[in-house]
Amino acid sequence: MRIKLKFILVLIVFSLLFVSSSWAALEIDRGPVYGLLRKGLPFEKLEMAGFLKSATSLRLAHGLDEFMKQANTAQLALEYSFNENFQFFTILRWFYDTVYDIESVYDDDPQWESKSNKKLKHPEKLQWLRECYIDILTDRLDIRAGKQQVVWGTADGIRILDIVNPLDYREWTLQNYVDSRIPLWMINMEGELLMNGHLQLLLIPDYQADYYPPAGAPFTLRTVRIGAEGVKALTEAGVTVNTISERPARNFRNTKIGLRWRNIIEGHAFEYTLNYLHTYSFASSAYTLFQFGFPPYFELTRRAEQIDVFGGTFSKTITEGILIPGFAKGWTLRGEFAFIKGNAMNYGLDESIQGTVDVNQYNYVLGFDKGFWKNWQFSFQFIQLISKPKEDFNESMYTLLLGPTRGPMEEVETILTCKLSTDFIHERLKPEVLILYGDDNDWRISPKVSFEVNDQWLVTAGLHFFEGKEQHLNGQFDKNDQVFFEVKYSF
Amino acid sequence: MKKLIVLICGLIFLSAPASFAQGLEYFKVHKPQAGMSAEDIMRIKYFNKYSLFAQDYESIGDVVFVEKSGAQRNRRFLRQRIILGRSSDDIAYKDLVMFTAPTSVKGLATLTWNYMNPERDQDVWLWLPSLRKIRKVSSGQADDSFMGGDFTVEEITTRQFEDETYAMLREENFQGYTSVFDGTLYHKDEPCYVIECRPKRDNWYYSKRITYVSKDFGGNILDEIYDANGQLCRTLFRGWIIIDVDGKPYAAQNRVEGHDLRSGHKTIIIFDDIKFDQGQKESNFSEKTLKRQKW
Repeated sequence: MRIKLKFILVLIVFSLLFVSSSWAALEIDRGPVYGLLRKGLPFEKLEMAGFLKSATSLRLAHGLDEFMKQANTAQLALEYSFNENFQFFTILRWFYDTVYDIESVYDDDPQWESKSNKKLKHPEKLQWLRECYIDILTDRLDIRAGKQQVVWGTADGIRILDIVNPLDYREWTLQNYVDSRIPLWMINMEGELLMNGHLQLLLIPDYQADYYPPAGAPFTLRTVRIGAEGVKALTEAGVTVNTISERPARNFRNTKIGLRWRNIIEGHAFEYTLNYLHTYSFASSAYTLFQFGFPPYFELTRRAEQIDVFGGTFSKTITEGILIPGFAKGWTLRGEFAFIKGNAMNYGLDESIQGTVDVNQYNYVLGFDKGFWKNWQFSFQFIQLISKPKEDFNESMYTLLLGPTRGPMEEVETILTCKLSTDFIHERLKPEVLILYGDDNDWRISPKVSFEVNDQWLVTAGLHFFEGKEQHLNGQFDKNDQVFFEVKYSF
Repeated sequence: MKKLIVLICGLIFLSAPASFAQGLEYFKVHKPQAGMSAEDIMRIKYFNKYSLFAQDYESIGDVVFVEKSGAQRNRRFLRQRIILGRSSDDIAYKDLVMFTAPTSVKGLATLTWNYMNPERDQDVWLWLPSLRKIRKVSSGQADDSFMGGDFTVEEITTRQFEDETYAMLREENFQGYTSVFDGTLYHKDEPCYVIECRPKRDNWYYSKRITYVSKDFGGNILDEIYDANGQLCRTLFRGWIIIDVDGKPYAAQNRVEGHDLRSGHKTIIIFDDIKFDQGQKESNFSEKTLKRQKW
């Protein structure tokens, strides 16, 4: 049966390739899928685009005989322009990850088929509605109202100020953030106060927590696995376990507020932003309570803390030179800072939570980008995440615990990232490598290469290597080294 | 009192300093004159290349990459430019390029500020719809391929008058250029100046180029580009039309064809729907416009 399906898939792929290779001069052929959609939706003011994608990854550790992902995705984006000032836009995305059908290793957990876990396989509820909003565009004010994602910040691959939307961690941070951000319903207004000065106001009544894949998934966070094992052990020991979720209701009373002032200083082309966000943390803090008695009682409260984020960004390309003409010319410098007030973190020993304390967090990134040797792009980032407890705890015995791993963390965690990319064959072949290094000898190295077959077809192949101790961000996936392959058809 | 105000306004207007690019006044049409030096002609050529005679410019560009095998890939973009020639903040003009097709690049957009100071690089903002993010990026390396085509970044966007030395070779009627794309013969018998241009940079990717500049409107029609060893390696053709805007003859490029003589690869850009002086607003050349590109 599976062979038959594969054969049909290959046949479809080749027929699309054949049909879409018949180009006409200056008529950009968007292929048969677009042609069919255009026939079905013949509205002049409707613009559409989309893609079909098949993504497969295999675990390197098991001789490439274990799938970690076999997801097929279809996306359709639609824009209807009532006039140049009023538009409707939506992105519909449907996917099915067959890895949970073809690999038994992921479904040995009896809870696996529970409703909350099915969303790994296919969209649930309104998950298929990626974005859906109206735009009201005027000279001085743009209003975007609806389900959307808002991106703040200049950092790549790490979220310092990019915390307006929660994140889906089903593939850790291997996906582009645009695919893993969870869009929220909100009103996003941006007004022009100066020629290059814009004030943005966000009103966000919606709330969703970060999505952590459940125990047994390919990228289950260590903290989730330890938690699931702990609850299972307690239950088997006869302890009554109660899990409480304290999350803000999705209503206007709990509206989160964001403000951003962005300006470019003319003459210097120095760009900066000042940001403020009053919101709830997407990663809940864990509060535990154990009561001896008969039967013993254990209570785990997951609380979304109300936090205030104050931050800013800057970016500047050296177009003439620093201090002396020509010095550092061509480099782009960028930075991002966030002070997070009101968050809480667990402290304790590795794997073991002893308590929860309020913390102030100071996170920043400095980035340096430059093009070299004709068409090589180099990007380096220096990142520090600083967590200062506001309450006392026995620091000689315990440390703060890293949220995703429940491993001990230092007050200052340093991360370096480096990305090198180039292109060949008239920008059709694009190799790149991304290296992330944490100061606890924690690594991720991700080389990949993509090839543009023609205007519609793009193939990508690559590897993800994780290295480090399980207590650290990437080391927790030390056994998840993988090779991946993607085929994407755009229309 | 009214007369006084009118007089003051008139004086302010009259005394408003005109802006110049290489000695040529912005917002005026300049043409080559008999007896001009190679340098003077090339100044006009660069002035025309960046449409500095106009207030603003808009066009739709179709890029076609043609492999030696004949297979093609496409890009379509909307280009808008506002010419400012503003000494106070050194801005010569601002450019917006927004890709509209195919889907793989749809929504990609760049905002570029270009400066009057020839020593100063461009400032470039890149909107990546796939990341929902604006990135400040360095202007492309001058010798890198422009969009992966058969011309370099500097040939299309960044080369300035000051980057080369010039020598007049001769005057002749251009023999015409047969398009590698559609076989049409362009600019046959166009009276031209033939000028040799050599880069000031040492060990650069080309040793010289021979350029044919129209005597009539001052645009360069053909570049014959010689590699570092002095071998002819590429040709770069530009087709021109004259658009009458309120009685002013504006020279506009309507096609660019690059041909790599070694690999056989060709790249064609055809500009369509060219408009000048539409009253574009400078506020449109902002990050807000980049972010409006949704795809």
